[in-house]
Parts: sequence; C-alpha cells; structure tokens
Amino acid sequence: MTNDVIATDHPLTTSQQETLAALLDTLLPASDDGTMPSAQAVDLIGYLTEKNAEFIPVLVEAIGHFDDGFAGLSLSDRYPVVEAFSKAQAELFDELLFHTYDCYYQDDRVLEGIGMAAGPPFPTGNTIEAGDLSLLDPVMQTSRTYRKYDQ
Amino acid sequence: MAGAADNDPVDVLIIGAGASGAAVAWSLAETRMRIVCFEQGDWTNPSEYPSTRKDWESQQFGPYHINPNVRGLETDYPINNDESPINVVNFNGVGGGTILYAAHFPRLHPSDFRVKTLDGVADDWPINYERLEPYFSKNDRMMGVSGLAGDPMYPPKQPPLPPIPLGLVGETIARGYNKLGWHWWPSDSAIITRPYEGRDQCLNLGPCMSGCSQGAKSSVDITYWPEALRSGVELRTRCRVREITLNRQGMADGVVYYDEEGTERHQKAEVVVMACNGVGTPRILLNSESAQFPDGLANRSGLVGKNLMFHPVGFVQGIFEERLDSHKGPAGCCILSKEFYETDRSRGFVRGYNMQITRGTGPLATALQGYTSGTIPWGPGHHEAFQKRFDHVASIGILCEDLPEEHNTVTLDPNLVDSDGIPAPKINYRLSENSEKMLAHGLARAEDVMEAAGATEISSSGVLEDAGWHLLGTARMGDDPKTSVVNSWGRSHDVKNLFIVDGSIFVTAGGLNPTSTIQALALYIADTMKKNLANLFD
Repeated sequence: MTNDVIATDHPLTTSQQETLAALLDTLLPASDDGTMPSAQAVDLIGYLTEKNAEFIPVLVEAIGHFDDGFAGLSLSDRYPVVEAFSKAQAELFDELLFHTYDCYYQDDRVLEGIGMAAGPPFPTGNTIEAGDLSLLDPVMQTSRTYRKYDQ
Repeated sequence: MAGAADNDPVDVLIIGAGASGAAVAWSLAETRMRIVCFEQGDWTNPSEYPSTRKDWESQQFGPYHINPNVRGLETDYPINNDESPINVVNFNGVGGGTILYAAHFPRLHPSDFRVKTLDGVADDWPINYERLEPYFSKNDRMMGVSGLAGDPMYPPKQPPLPPIPLGLVGETIARGYNKLGWHWWPSDSAIITRPYEGRDQCLNLGPCMSGCSQGAKSSVDITYWPEALRSGVELRTRCRVREITLNRQGMADGVVYYDEEGTERHQKAEVVVMACNGVGTPRILLNSESAQFPDGLANRSGLVGKNLMFHPVGFVQGIFEERLDSHKGPAGCCILSKEFYETDRSRGFVRGYNMQITRGTGPLATALQGYTSGTIPWGPGHHEAFQKRFDHVASIGILCEDLPEEHNTVTLDPNLVDSDGIPAPKINYRLSENSEKMLAHGLARAEDVMEAAGATEISSSGVLEDAGWHLLGTARMGDDPKTSVVNSWGRSHDVKNLFIVDGSIFVTAGGLNPTSTIQALALYIADTMKKNLANLFD
C-alpha cells in the first residue's frame, strides 16, 4: 500500500492524487484542438493550499467516493461514474465544481485560450470601441421628449 | 486641521460616510464649523481590490459579496430579509455603497417629483427637479460623470466628460432599439473617461462592482472625501452609532456609539445629520427610544421605517452568434432606454421602468451560470458550450419604479443583533400587483429588444433576489408633519437639530438608480442649512 503513504508535504496520497487527476480530467477534459488544457493540468492543490485550505478535507472526502479503479478508466467510462456522484452527492459535487472552475479560469493558459489577457484585469485593462454615435440619429429625429407638467 | 479630541462637543456630527454623508460633509466644510463624521466601517484600499488579483471573480462570492449577510465582515451588520423577496445589499465603509456600485448615474426625471399630480398615485415631493438642478450639475462635476448631452428624455444637461464606450454590446443592442423605434441613450456614468481632477481614466477593467483599482469609478472615498478632509472635516472610522441622545428640551445632543474595541462612548453634538441609507437610518432612529419619543426618535408621524421602496429588478440575457467582447468595459454601464419610463395606463400599470443594458460576466461566472442553467455542461462539451456564450452575451436589466406602501417596512429585529449588540434591521416587503405587472411588461419588452438585436437565445429572470441596492422612502420628506418625517430641506419635523440626507427621505423612488439624486439632495440640504445658519432651529 505504498500508494497510500504521504511521502511529501502534499496533502493527498499518491493514490488520491491519481483519482483527483482523473476526476478533474472528467470535469474539464482538454479541448479537441488542444487550445484548452485539461483541469488536471492546473494546480488545484496549490490553489486550495493558498486560498481555500479548509476545502482540502472536503476534497479528500469527495475523492473517497471513487474506488481505486476509477483513475484507470477511459474518459467515456469515467463520465457516468462522476455523473452518478453529482446526483448522489449534489452539494459536495457543487462545491468541488466551484473550486475546480475557480482555479481553472484563473490559469493563464486557460485565459489566453478563451481570448482574455493572462493575469488579473488590473493594470492591463482592455480596449473597446467607442462605438458609432450616429446610431443615435433616429432617436434624436423623433419628437419624443421628457414628460412635462405645469409648475 | 487637528481633529476634535474624542468626545469633545462638535458642531455637526454626520453619521455615515457614504454617498450622501460625503457630499454633505464637503458642502458644510466651508462654514468652518467643527464637523465630524462617524463611519462604522474602514477605508478600503484600491490596490487590494479584487481586480488586482487572479481570483477576482471568486472574491465577489466572499469578502466582496454585495450581500452583507454573505460577506459577513466585522464592519457589517446583519439584516433579516426573511420576509422579503429582495435582499438588502450594501457596503459598510468609507464610500458606502459607492465602493461596490455599478456607477450608473441617471437623475430622477422632472415628472418623478409630481407623481400624485400626474398619475394620481403616491405623493408629490415638496421640491422639484428645477430646485435640484444646480445641485445635480455640481454633483456631476464633483463626482466626475461621463455622458452625452442631448437626451430628449431630460431637460438640457451637460455631463462634464464624454460617454463611456458603447463597445460591441452597446452597438448591437442599440441597433435592436432602432429597429423597434424605441428610445436609447448612452448611460450617464460616474466613471471618468478622461483624466479628471488628478484621477486617471477608465481602463475598461470590467469588474466595477467589486471596487475600481484604477480609481476611475467615482466612489466618494476618492471624490468628496479627500476634498472634505482637506477642508477640515474629521472622519472617524470604526465608530458604530447605537442611538441618538436628547437633552431636556427634546433636541438631539449627541450619540452613543461603539469604537473599534467595542467600548461604549458618547459624542456630544449641536447638530446630528443622518446619512446611513434607507435601512441604516430608520434602524438608528427606531433604536433611539426615549420618554419623549417612545416609538423611536423623530417618529411622531409613525412613518419612520415605513414606505420602504426598492427597485424590483428583472434581467434578460441574450446570446449572439458574433463575439461581443462582453467582459470588457464597465460591467453595469453601457446604454439605457426610457421608452417605458412614463405612465401609459393601457399597459395595465402606472409609472414605469428603466431598461439598463449591461455587459457580460467573467469566465468563472459564465461557467457557473451555465452549469446552474444547464446551458454549459461540465465534462465533454464544456468548452464548445462555453465558447458559444462567453463574450457573446448582452443583458438588459429592468429597473421598476416601486411605489410607497406603508406595509413595506424596516423595523428592529427582536432577536438578531450586530457584533456590538445593536438590534439588526428586519425587512418586511412584498411586491405590489403594480410592480409585478410592470416587471412582466419589462421582461417581455426586453425580450423584444434582444430578438430585434439578433440574439439567438434569450432567457429572462426576475425578480432578482440580491438586488436591494436602492433603499428609499423610510423617513420621507414633506410639508405636513403628520405625513412625513422631515421637511423639504431634510430637517426632522420633531427634532429641529436632526437632519436626514440619505435615500430615506425620497417620497417616491422613480425607476432608476438613485445615487445622483441622493447626492443632489444632500448638497441642496447642506446649502439650505448654510443659508439658515442663524436660525437653523427655528
């Protein structure tokens, strides 16, 4: 059972890490064109350790719902297993999905894959078109006015 | 200027450092009176706002949540919303709600001040648009408002800065309005589009509603407060007022408050100005019971805490084939429509609503919303569904005018208290039939706009739960002490040295964001106080 020995400061055993990787890859597999990485490629444990350490025991509980063979299944075989878990443990699944999405959609590779700039919004910011104010011509050509009343 | 020593008597004590408290403090500063403002929260630091962090979106689900019951900061107070379909949302700190607001900055319309005369419902205000107009303009300059002159739905006005960019979202929806022949106009926004008064212009970061790291959004901590402090006003944070105290003559003589350590203190004052919003102000007044005012201070009319008005909000979202860059630019400000703002009884309701076009959400919110709505699955197919929606969205918020009804109230919760043991506010509110019909009409018309604009998929929701931003009407102004709490310039009918300058004093709510009008009222009240200093209490 060497797989279940915590040999480093990683909060999960090797076996748990394998299950987690398969679970994350099921939730968010890589895109077919390779633009979007799988969720197993983003550092969920690092993110949780830094930002949401209190969720790690909950994550371990979630992983415990999957047997040792789960990690060895194909994506198409893993999907119904996770789907059943999502229905049987809806609250736990929603929490797991929230943290997975949160971590995933902060990753620079992911942000660039969806057309955003890497990193936080500030200070880079964004450029957007001022827009065509001649679109207002029809509005200004009507006789519409604000509602008036006698003082 | 050195501040008044703790508990030395002050001339004017302002409670609350938000939109109205900042404006009234700045205006009164020129009197050279000793003015102190108590704020229960802290200063915020723009360099720590979420948009400086990679986890900026999830911060909005935690420490920057708009609902204080979820946010749960030590500086917040709990609110019992159990008897209301709309939750109160706010921010407690220097800047108040302007820290987290979208910065939509429309003024009430002239007709909003004459609702009874024009439509036979609610009441007229004791003042009118023309009286407030100079203060609207002064406030626009102080805050730094961007917009476009010429909107036919208003009397002439000139925003000091050019409008915020329409972007692809604005242009796309504008074409929809044009196809229908309906009114639209670039929003007046308290977001600077050019460098202004030492602040740099908007960078189109997106998440305005969790604080602006750039300082381009005009929250009062960076507009009015620096000016007021330079003029000698003292602002004390972490001072939470429990009650206003009276002297034997029935005049306010100060407040009991808790400092940061939770120590009870008393601050003496010649004049007390309430600026705590439409929930915080009645909370303190109702908690200031005495032999002279057994039902709460300044409450001989019985109207303190009654006639609470929100703006019931509906939301329509459209998905478009083309990319709209929806995540870029001020999230809550783009264009608006007043097509259905005024009464048309053939619609089955009186008064009307503002249609407020908003941009899109960030990737996390898009993915989560897609999960809960079943439109973006987890697993295989996620990326394809996500890419069809992210940056392909435009939304229309329907902001309905709420009419005053006495059964909609703020009272003191008998059990719930804040961290200092002060009773929490309890909200009892229900949507009127008029509001429900108005909301349904607004949602249907917004769907028409989305269809005309070419949306391939349209969804509607409302009334939104966490949308109780606008807290109005709970200490209304009027000329008759039997039917109002304060007079036409914010002075309590019952306590002549007690003033209220926040949204509590609204007689009716209009159908749009109230901050511009709240601040114009605060400036008008401060000006009237200055003109009457010699006989302020007569």
